[in-house]
Amino acid sequence: MASITAPLGQAQTTAPGLKVSDFFRWSVDHKIIGIQYMATAIFFFIVGGALAMLIRWELLTPTLDLMQNGEQYNTLFSIHATVMIFLWIIPMFAGFGNYLVPLMLGAKDMAFPWLNAFAFWLIPPAGILLLLGWFVGPAQAGWTSYPPLSTLYSGDGQTLWAMALHLLGISSILGAINFIVTIKNMRPQGMGYWQMPLFVWAILATSIIVVLATPFLAGALTLLILDRVAGTSFFDPANGGDALLWQNVFWFYSHPAVYIMVLPGMGVISELLSVHSRKPIFGYRAIALSSMAIALVGFTVWAHHMFTSLTPELRIPFMVTSMIIAVPTGIKIFSWLGTLWGGKIRFTSAMLFALGFLSMFVIGGISGVMLGSVPVDIHLHDTYFVVSHLHFVLYGGSVFAIFGGIYHWFPKMFGKKLDERLGKLHFALTYVGFFFTFFPQHIAGMLGMPRRVAVYDPQFQQINVIISIASFVLGIATFVLLYNIVVTLIAGKRVGANPWRALTLEWATSSPPPAYNFIGDPVPFEDPYGYGTEESVAYLDALEKRFPPPVDTSATLTRAPQSGD
Amino acid sequence: MNSGKSQSTNNMTVLWIIGAFLALIIGGVIIAQATPLLFPPQGSAESLQVDDLFKFMLAIGGAIFLLVQGAIVYSVIRFRAKPGDLSDGANIHGNATLELVWTAIPAVIVLVLTVYSYQVWVSTREIKPNEQTVYGRGARFVWSFSYDVPASSVPSDVEVDKLPPNIQDAITNDSSFPITSRELHTFVGQPIKMVLDTSDTLHAFWIPAMRMKQDLISGRTTEIRFTPIQAGEFPVVCAELCGGGHGDMRASIIVHADETEYLSWFSDQVNLVVYPPDDPVLRGEQVLASGQYPCSGCHTLTALSWAGITGPNLNGIGDRAATVRSAATGETPEEYIHRSLYHPAEYLVPGFGALMPQFQPDAGQPNFMPVDDNKAIVAYLCTQTATGESACDLSNLDAIIAAGD
Repeated sequence: MASITAPLGQAQTTAPGLKVSDFFRWSVDHKIIGIQYMATAIFFFIVGGALAMLIRWELLTPTLDLMQNGEQYNTLFSIHATVMIFLWIIPMFAGFGNYLVPLMLGAKDMAFPWLNAFAFWLIPPAGILLLLGWFVGPAQAGWTSYPPLSTLYSGDGQTLWAMALHLLGISSILGAINFIVTIKNMRPQGMGYWQMPLFVWAILATSIIVVLATPFLAGALTLLILDRVAGTSFFDPANGGDALLWQNVFWFYSHPAVYIMVLPGMGVISELLSVHSRKPIFGYRAIALSSMAIALVGFTVWAHHMFTSLTPELRIPFMVTSMIIAVPTGIKIFSWLGTLWGGKIRFTSAMLFALGFLSMFVIGGISGVMLGSVPVDIHLHDTYFVVSHLHFVLYGGSVFAIFGGIYHWFPKMFGKKLDERLGKLHFALTYVGFFFTFFPQHIAGMLGMPRRVAVYDPQFQQINVIISIASFVLGIATFVLLYNIVVTLIAGKRVGANPWRALTLEWATSSPPPAYNFIGDPVPFEDPYGYGTEESVAYLDALEKRFPPPVDTSATLTRAPQSGD
Repeated sequence: MNSGKSQSTNNMTVLWIIGAFLALIIGGVIIAQATPLLFPPQGSAESLQVDDLFKFMLAIGGAIFLLVQGAIVYSVIRFRAKPGDLSDGANIHGNATLELVWTAIPAVIVLVLTVYSYQVWVSTREIKPNEQTVYGRGARFVWSFSYDVPASSVPSDVEVDKLPPNIQDAITNDSSFPITSRELHTFVGQPIKMVLDTSDTLHAFWIPAMRMKQDLISGRTTEIRFTPIQAGEFPVVCAELCGGGHGDMRASIIVHADETEYLSWFSDQVNLVVYPPDDPVLRGEQVLASGQYPCSGCHTLTALSWAGITGPNLNGIGDRAATVRSAATGETPEEYIHRSLYHPAEYLVPGFGALMPQFQPDAGQPNFMPVDDNKAIVAYLCTQTATGESACDLSNLDAIIAAGD
């Protein structure tokens, strides 16, 4: 299985002899591609974050002031959401998956390295296409782009929006196929499905959703583009179309897309909690299978996004499925708590973000069940309660997991540990900023503030001022992380190959790993989470001997550390 | 004895679990007491049930919240590695019983919530025999509400031939005709059935005080029911993104204390329509103020308290029609205003897009605006001048209409 026939020529210059320019070139090395994904995603995170800051600035007062008109404001949140979903969270996790899955499987690369690179290189042009919309009348129908607003009442930027999403969808599908084939075929000797790290399980479940769901987005986008440029009327009731058709097809993709964004984060959390509490993951199979259950049930709940537009008789079945999906999610949360219980918890920045994920994601879960109840949702639908809920899931969930993952795997990628003091400052600002940005939004929504408005009832001004100030803190927090990354890359101290003493295979090679990742075929430890046994201690000690922590080489950064053997 | 000791430890554990469980329930119930602070006033019979359901969910959600956060905080304190402790935690991989419990309990909870939600849903959708039908229409970015007036309730002293054709028809056929209002009026205890449609994009009809929301879907009519139980004025909000003026798309529901008060409002509205003023300017003002046409969603006209910003400002429209616009189009001011209502796309003011609905003079077409209404609106808008004098010569208008479309 380990024999790879795809062209790997350029991959031989892998770290530690890498130059910055290598990351701007075509490469088929999964580690370079992984970092390319992540760097691109972080760039778009800053773009999307800047748009969020403008949104919050506008909402400091109940009238229009920063923006000249409502359309400009609508553009802000439409592009903010599209960027954050399709150019930040999804490609960021694709980056983690690309970097980590082959390493965790002890493989030399992904199954289709060229396809892997191609999938990545679709993303920058798609991002540019989306942002070019500003020159032709940008998309302003929200990221959900319901017709007829997105067909009969929007500028050409809406077409560019749809084309950009098409490209990003193709990228996702190609990446997912690659993950599925890699996970199926390239596991090492001794690693069955039940010995895979849970992050790999999460990527597998995610990839299955991507492959099954994303074509529906492509279908919907194609119809939208045809309606806009070719004079068809799939969504125009005046000419025999149906406005609800879009909502059904769009959400048939976009609800599973929530799990595309959350499941990899759950995989990250499973790794982090086990390693940093030095304890086996509690209920391994339950966590792995609950990912699959979420992937499956996730396909049956889409119309809960349409409780106020769907035919009333159809709402109850979707309430039932939506409620059911809380059960596998609950299993995960309790299993993670079980992992903490009786551990030896290390308060690393990675661990703090994992704990932050646990405590914030559960709020998103509870509000999700509330929204799943039809009579309650009738009141809360399309209000700030929903804005709050989705940010608890996607920021308190996915983004906290991304941050934790960055602190955890940065030493793997660059052989240097991010500054822990800055990391803790980043966590504290993020946690507090996040909570006070999004928790009060529940209340604003319940009291009657709809989402997607630049102009609102003055009774909501106080609460919006609190939210905006907290959001500025949240925005500033991100720069602590960026500063930390830059400073560490330039002047950070080298650490050993396995600074967290983790058992999963990505740590059983030097940091950063050499070209083709491993010297020889690595043998995984019998249990990726087997902490607390003498065997695991012996294994980790042997690993440390094989890849000894370097002497301080910060003065001679260019010299390649010698690996053992 | 060894077994005796483990027995008492087990008993202690059971006591701890029961104690923690009770504490969580009490905590959840305490959190749920915040429910009334989180909602607008309870304006409808349905809002009582929805709030109770929410309160129940908040109690359970609050207990789960306390359980998870409590477990995190406890673990973080109790199980933190002491400085210098490099050892691992216990090698425990799971516990089948525990996993079964935390699968089964949430499953039971969501089952209960589903059944309870279903009951509330069924009960709030019950059709009351004495319900009143009100037609709600969303147009970018304004609400209008119309009521059926049976021809039999028209006073006998009205001059039928002065009324608009559709009312004349209704009187002849003894059917009914609509009157339109920018506010939704009803009274305490009167069950309402809203029949909703939209003349353009999607909108969502939301009365937070009634806990009721329903999307307006292009090409369809939708329905929603509720029964007001509290007198007062409550906001009506658009909750589905409909364009630049979405945040401005607000109206009010006025719940009168009793039927008498409501009927007095209602007959005033009917009288306005069946005793139309002779002066076309006054009639134009009445037509525009009724909200029958969605002009206020986009235009500002201070005289009628319109504050839309999507379209050109109509303050001083009479002066501009006679000067700038007249020069730009080569038409007389009355011709300009008249034609720009029927052909807005041909008369775009620089800086504004073709967003205005094209009104049609023929019944049965979308955006129907009878010629009489058009004439009255032209007459009124012509008086929007600095001096208040009309800028137009209305005697030309009939000739213009006769000459073309």
